[in-house]
Amino acid sequence: MDKQELLTQLYDSILDTEPEAAAAAAQAAIDAGVDAMEAIEVASEAIAEIGDMFEAGEIFLPSLMLAGEAMKQSMAILSRHLHSGQATQTKAKVVIGAVSGDIHDIGKNLVATMLSVHGYDVIDVGVNVPPMEVIDVALREKARFIALSALMTTSMPYQQDVLNLLTETGARNRFFVIVGGGPVTSDYARRIGADGWGNSAVSAVRLCDRLLQSQETPPVSATFVQE
Amino acid sequence: MTINRDRLMDVLDKAHRGPVIKQFDWDTRVIPGVIAAKLKEYGLQKTCDPANPINQDLELADRFYRAAVDVATEVGMLCTDTQRAIRYSQAELLAGVDAAPAAFTLGEGREIAHFVHRAISDPTPPIWVSPLSIAVSEEVFEPLVTGIAAIPEVDCLEGPSFETIWGAPLRAGSPYELLAGKMQAEAFYGAIARAGREGIGLYAVGTSPTHYGVLGGFGIPGGYKPQRDIVLVLSPVEIKTSYENLMKLAHAYNCGGQTYGGSWSMIGGYAGGPEGAALSCIACTIMLYNVYQCVNGASFPYDLKTMGNCGRPALWSLGVVFQALSRNTHLCANSVLNQTAGPATECLLYESAVGMMLLSVCGASSCTGPRSAGGKYTNYITPLEVKFAGEVFKRCAGMSLAQANEIANRLLPKYEQQLGNPPKGQSFQECYDLATLQPSDEWQRIYDTVKDAAIAAGMPLH
Repeated sequence: MDKQELLTQLYDSILDTEPEAAAAAAQAAIDAGVDAMEAIEVASEAIAEIGDMFEAGEIFLPSLMLAGEAMKQSMAILSRHLHSGQATQTKAKVVIGAVSGDIHDIGKNLVATMLSVHGYDVIDVGVNVPPMEVIDVALREKARFIALSALMTTSMPYQQDVLNLLTETGARNRFFVIVGGGPVTSDYARRIGADGWGNSAVSAVRLCDRLLQSQETPPVSATFVQE
Repeated sequence: MTINRDRLMDVLDKAHRGPVIKQFDWDTRVIPGVIAAKLKEYGLQKTCDPANPINQDLELADRFYRAAVDVATEVGMLCTDTQRAIRYSQAELLAGVDAAPAAFTLGEGREIAHFVHRAISDPTPPIWVSPLSIAVSEEVFEPLVTGIAAIPEVDCLEGPSFETIWGAPLRAGSPYELLAGKMQAEAFYGAIARAGREGIGLYAVGTSPTHYGVLGGFGIPGGYKPQRDIVLVLSPVEIKTSYENLMKLAHAYNCGGQTYGGSWSMIGGYAGGPEGAALSCIACTIMLYNVYQCVNGASFPYDLKTMGNCGRPALWSLGVVFQALSRNTHLCANSVLNQTAGPATECLLYESAVGMMLLSVCGASSCTGPRSAGGKYTNYITPLEVKFAGEVFKRCAGMSLAQANEIANRLLPKYEQQLGNPPKGQSFQECYDLATLQPSDEWQRIYDTVKDAAIAAGMPLH
């Protein structure tokens, strides 16, 4: 198989939402001497197309998640073979989770995958996660963002707990903290001092992009709102 | 109907010995794979007809049911704590559905609500459970519940729920939630007594995102009463359960209580489009009645794009679910109607008009709602939209599917463009006089306007 065929195989396996095939295609490309950065660029094009298809309603959440997993598995292989001086296109690392008492995962999964599709390195800590656990992971992973989901009013206080804990432990300036979820309004985000609020998975991507492009450091002077 | 211990123990056994399936695989492969295969096998792909938001093809609804029995048999229900699937044979599943009652009661005295299985276009008025567990502040709870309980169309109460408990934020899964269980029961009993409806049945516990609210509020001295109230067991999507849900079930068993089993499926989510969501909802309902031995409930679709179920694809999907359940089971199926606009807006009432009419004619035994303003804002729920939804739900009983579909098509253009960006409206305090419990002139005028429009469209609301 020549280089173009290998790259096409990688591209197709992500578009076909097949994680194992994507990992195998990435490995085959490396074994054949394909430049890892070139393969990453092809994989990124595929995942961007997946994102467009989801936004257009052509595919649904499971395909988006599987494509995200395919991208993740291929990147795990390709990034190990970058030459010194080469850097991946990852924009920033995001730790995301649904806070304590909340087991709803659709919104969180959607945001996690859309961020991943758009170039963020996403670490998903799952649902019903205690505030300190979110912070511990973010510190350990040297994340730039903490993204907190809550679908119930009774989980929203835990978003504030994360912010309070960050402040009280002197780590507030390490992370942009963004919040979202059904009952979480922009007013609430402002009230608890979050750095950003978005009302959809697409807005979450734009929100993170805006925060990164801003000249601000956390905590921001005024909560960024993205609809 | 009391919960059978042998069946309960069998569920717990299956939750610990069933096949291991990781949640990621469940969400991305098992559910979408089986749903897609059954849609294809039964010829259900691309059957959603937005031009006819109330499905007219009852043979299609029957095919959805048969496909859903297959889905339920093949997938079962995933317990997220054990990562194992609770599965039954097809014969066991159908026997479990047959074991559910075709009628039951909630409440006591002259307020007893008689739930019955309803046929398509059944003239028997359905039961209106209102409102959903929308968060309200403590000072608003009592006047709001008193106002809602005073509405004659309201048969049972579920919400609202408290935002705080004695001034402290109510945190899910914490001691606050445990305390809130009893606090909410006491507040409900006080308010319904003031409304002169002491016997009205209650769904417990609205303020119980985990099991703690139920443990703290149901079957304890001063709490919800097992002989007249019912435990809510709300399953996570997609066709999942958890220790939290199973503990609510176990607690209901310990107290000699009955359960309500509920869930939902997102159009655009794990099950795919409106057809997949409908299929998933019916399969999930079959599992709910088996796993929780519930007497009431169902899974209902709503749309990830609008976060409601009053737009055309979601209405179609919702109708198919309840038609299928009505024609193929004797269950007392309950739906939830998710409006997106807030109080004091025409949009909210038009959403209610079409959605409640659909559920009434498609055989729902009962409905819980409204979810004013999508349930997003504290205190955004008032008695007037509760009254309107109840009026529509009951007075449309007996209407034909064709007539309801025509009316839906006349009313949908009045609000469907707003569903992506619904008006927030006004809070209870902004559009009600809390002392007299009367709506503002503006809100009353909006109600009158929409009611006149619904009557002009053919709805029997005179």
